Amino acid sequence: MSDLEIRTRDDKTNYVPGEELAGEVSWRTDAAPRDAELRLFWHTAGKGTQDVEVIETISFDSPARSDRRPFRFTLPESPYSFSGKLVSLIWALELVLASGETERLDIVISPTRNEIALQGG
Amino acid sequence: MKARNNPFRTDRVLEVRYRLRGVSLTDLLNRLQRLSYRAAIVGPNGSGKTTLLEDLEPEICALGFRVKHLRLDDQKRNFPNAFIKMFLAELSAQDFIFFDGAEQMSALKWHAFKAKSRKAGGLLITSHAKGMLPTLTVCSTSPELLEEIVSDLLNGESLMSLPSTTKLFRKHDGNLRGALREMYDIYAAKPHINPSAVGD
Repeated sequence: MSDLEIRTRDDKTNYVPGEELAGEVSWRTDAAPRDAELRLFWHTAGKGTQDVEVIETISFDSPARSDRRPFRFTLPESPYSFSGKLVSLIWALELVLASGETERLDIVISPTRNEIALQGG
Repeated sequence: MKARNNPFRTDRVLEVRYRLRGVSLTDLLNRLQRLSYRAAIVGPNGSGKTTLLEDLEPEICALGFRVKHLRLDDQKRNFPNAFIKMFLAELSAQDFIFFDGAEQMSALKWHAFKAKSRKAGGLLITSHAKGMLPTLTVCSTSPELLEEIVSDLLNGESLMSLPSTTKLFRKHDGNLRGALREMYDIYAAKPHINPSAVGD
C-alpha cells in the first residue's frame, strides 16, 4: 500500500502570479521507485477538447522507498485560474512515481488569489 | 455551475469505457484471431467504436503486437500521399494497424490501402457501414445504455431533475456522444444543482 503526499508551506493553495510556491512531497512505497517527479501544470476542463500544459518539472534523484523532498517553484504570470460554464482552467501540482502512482493537489493562481468567475461563460 | 464541476465535462465522459453486452473482450479477440486479425468494428456515430478500439489496444499489445494508429474523421478526410506511402512502407508483421474512421477513405484509396497493409500483423478499423473488412462486432446503443451512463456520471445523484434520457436518445438518433454533450449544457444551466454531489 503506497502513501503519497504533497504539502505546501502553511498548507497554502491560493497564490498570486510570480509568487514562490514551496513545500514538501513525501512517499512511502513497497519498493524504491525508479523515478519520482513533481509537475506544475494547468489543464482545462469543460465541454470541449481538454488542453494541458506542464510548466515545470522537478525530478528527485535516487528516490528511496520512504522519502521526503522539499520543492520550490516560482509561479508564472499567466494563465490565471478561472471558471465559466463552458470551461475552467485549473492549476495543479502532481507527484508522479515511475510505478504510475500519482498524487495531485489543485491550486489557484490569480491576482486576487481566488479563481476568476467568468460571467455567462 | 462551474465547468470544472459539471459531471458531463469531457474528461469524465472520456473515462466511460465501452460496455460489452453478451460478449467478452476475450471472445472478441478470439474472433479477431479467426478473422486473421483483419476486421472492422461497425456502428453509427456516437456508438462507442473508438472507445472499443481503445479498450482493445492493451489486449493487442499483450499479444506482442505494436499498435500503429491512423485516424480520419469529418474534419480530416484524407492522408497526404507521402505520409501514407511512408506509413505503408515501414510496416512489418509486428505492427497492428488501428484505423479509426476508415470509411472516410475513397473506395479506390481503400482498395490500395487494404492490399498494401497486408504485411502488417493486423488491421482493425472502425466504420459506419459493413463491407470494408469482415465485421468483428457491431456497436449499438439504447436509451437504457444512455441512462446507465448518465446515472454513473451523476455518481448516484437523482435523474429526476433532468430530461428523460429516452427523449434525449431519440433527439440524437442514438448518438450517445451528442446526447452527453447536450446533458453538459442542460446541467450547466441548472444553478440549483449541488456540485458537491458530483465526484471526480
